[in-house]
Amino acid sequence: MNKTNVLEFKDVWKIYRMGGEEINALAGVNLTIKDGSFTSIMGPSGSGKSTLLHVAGILDMPTRGNLLMNGKDTSTLGAREQARFRRSEIGFVFQRFNLLPQLTTLENVLLPMNQPEPQKAQEYLDKMGLEGKYSKTPNQLSGGEQQRVSIARALVNQPSLILADEPTGELDSKNAEVIMGILQDLNKKEGVTIIIVTHNQLAADFTDKIIEMRDGNII
Amino acid sequence: MGIYSLSFKNLRRRKLRSILTMLGVVIGVTALVVLVGLTTGMTSYMKESTGNMMGDILIMNSTGGGALMSSPGSSFLDPEAVDEIKNMSQLYNIKEDVEFLTEFNGTQIYIVGTSDWSQIKINGTSGVVVSKTLEDMGYKVGSKITIKDQEMTVTGTFTEGSMGMGVVIMDSSRALPLNNNKSSSITANTRGDPEVVKNEVEKTVNGTTASTKSDLSKQIDDLMNGLTLFIGGIASIALLVGVISIVNIMLVNVTERTREIGVLKAIGFTNREVLGSILLESALIGFIGGIVGLIIAAILLQTAIILFGSQIGDIKLISMLPLWLIVGVIGGATGLSVLAGLYPAWRASRLNVVEALRNE
Ligand SMILES: Nc1ncnc2c1ncn2[C@@H]1O[C@H](COP(=O)(O)OP(=O)(O)O)[C@@H](O)[C@H]1O
Ligand SMILES: [Mg+2]
Repeated sequence: MNKTNVLEFKDVWKIYRMGGEEINALAGVNLTIKDGSFTSIMGPSGSGKSTLLHVAGILDMPTRGNLLMNGKDTSTLGAREQARFRRSEIGFVFQRFNLLPQLTTLENVLLPMNQPEPQKAQEYLDKMGLEGKYSKTPNQLSGGEQQRVSIARALVNQPSLILADEPTGELDSKNAEVIMGILQDLNKKEGVTIIIVTHNQLAADFTDKIIEMRDGNII
Repeated sequence: MGIYSLSFKNLRRRKLRSILTMLGVVIGVTALVVLVGLTTGMTSYMKESTGNMMGDILIMNSTGGGALMSSPGSSFLDPEAVDEIKNMSQLYNIKEDVEFLTEFNGTQIYIVGTSDWSQIKINGTSGVVVSKTLEDMGYKVGSKITIKDQEMTVTGTFTEGSMGMGVVIMDSSRALPLNNNKSSSITANTRGDPEVVKNEVEKTVNGTTASTKSDLSKQIDDLMNGLTLFIGGIASIALLVGVISIVNIMLVNVTERTREIGVLKAIGFTNREVLGSILLESALIGFIGGIVGLIIAAILLQTAIILFGSQIGDIKLISMLPLWLIVGVIGGATGLSVLAGLYPAWRASRLNVVEALRNE
C-alpha cells in the first residue's frame, strides 16, 4: 500500500545564537513521516528532540530548509494560517499535561473545538476512561488522568497528526503503560499518525519505529 | 467553549486580585457619578423652579449680579425705578418681591416677601410662614413673632428649601414696609416678545437688569455646564488612577500565565484571539467596576435625597442620573479599561510559543 507522507523534513536547520556562539538545535534533518505511522524519537538531552517536534507542529519555523505537511510547504503560511493549521491538523500532548487549571475536564476538551459539541467531547473523554469526571478540574485528577484528558483534547478536532513530547515523563510506569496503550490503540485502530519524544525505552517499544537523535541530527 | 469564555473564568480565578483591581474603577465611577449627578440634579431642579417663575420677565438692580449670581438680600431696586417700571405700558401683572436679612434674637434670618405662594409647601395656611429652624426655636402656628418691632402671628410652617436657615415668608405687601419699601425684584408679564420688552426695560429704567425665562434657563445651563465639567474633570482623575492600575495587574496576569498562553497558541488560537481574550478580560474589569460604581453612587444619591432632599427641594434620583451619564460612565470605564489592556494584551499575543511552553 502506498501511503502518503504526512510530514517531510528537507534539510531542516534550527540555529540559535547565544552571544557569539551558534547552537545547531537541528542540523540538516531529513525525515519522512508516513500516514498512519507510529514513531518515537529518542536521544540524550539537548539533542534536538523537542525542537524537531516543535518544527513538526509548526510551533517553530526552521532557520533553513523546508517542512512539507501533506505535501504542502509550511514556510509559506502566515502566523494566522499556522494557528488555523495547528488547530485542525495537529494535536499536541505535553509532558506536563498543560491543561488549563481554571477549566473543567470537559471544558478543556471543548476549548479547541470550532463548534463546541459537548456530546462529542464527552465521547472522547469516555474513550479515555474518564466518564463521570467531566466536571472535575485538573488539580482533582491524577497525572495519568490529566494526560488522558490532554489526549482527548488533542484528538477532538480529528487531526492528521498527534505530537507528544515525553508524554510519560511525569507518570509512574503503570500510568505510562496505560497512556502508551491508548496511543497505540489510536494508531492501530483509527490510523492516527503519532510521533512521540521519549527517554523511556519501554514507551518507545510501543511504537513501530524508533529514531535516535544526537547533536541535532538523526543517526 | 471558546477562548473568550476564558476571560470570565480568569477573572474568577484570582478573585481578590480582580476585586481589588475593580475597586479602583468602582471608586472612580462612584465619585464621578455622585458629583456629576448632584450637579445635574441641581440643574434640573433650578430649571424647574425658573420654569415655574410667574410672569415672563424678572427685573432686578443691575449692581446685584443678575438673577442667579446675586446673594439674596444684598441689592434692591430704587423706589423711583419701581415707579417707572410700574408705569410701563408693555408690562402688566406686576409683582414686587423682597428678600432681606434682619437681626432676630441675636441671629440673622431671612425675610421673604412673596406674591406667589404656589411654590411653597406649607403646613398650615399662607400669611406668615416660618422655616424648620424657627419652628425648632418654638414658633408654631398661632405663636406670636416680632420682626423689626412688628408683631405678627405665625400661620404656617415649611420645611423645604430653607437649607437650615431661619426664614420667614409673608406677603410682599407686608414685607416691603419692613424693608423701607425697597423691593429685590419685580416679576411681570409682557405685552409682546419678552426679549424686546426686556431691552426696553433695561434702556428706559436706569440701573436695572432684566431676564426672561429663556435667559435664566441659559444662565443655569452655562453655570452648571462649567461646574459639571470642572467637577467631572476632577472625579475623572480618580477613575483614571483606577484604570491605570489595570495596566499593572494585567501585565502581572499575562506574565503569570505565560505558559498557558503558549498552550493556547499551540492548540491553535491565533495571536488575535489571544489579544482579544486579554482585552475582554480588562474590559470586563472596567464594565463590572462601572456597574458596581454606578449602583453604589445611586444608593448614595438616594440616601442624600432621603436625608437632605426636603431641605433643597423636590429632587428625584432620575434627574440626577440621566441616561447620558449612565451610558457615558459605563462606556467610559469600559473603554478606558480596554485601552489599559492594550499593552498587556499585545505582549501576550506576541509571546513566542516555544519559549512560553518552556517557561516553568
Ligand atoms: N531558545 C533557545 N535559545 C538557545 N538555545 C536553545 C533554545 N532552545 C533550545 N536551545 C538549544 O537547542 C538544543 C536542542 O534543544 P531541545 O530540542 O530542547 O533538546 P531535547 O528536547 O532533545 O532535550 C539544546 O542545546 C538547547 O540548549
Ligand atoms: Mg525536550
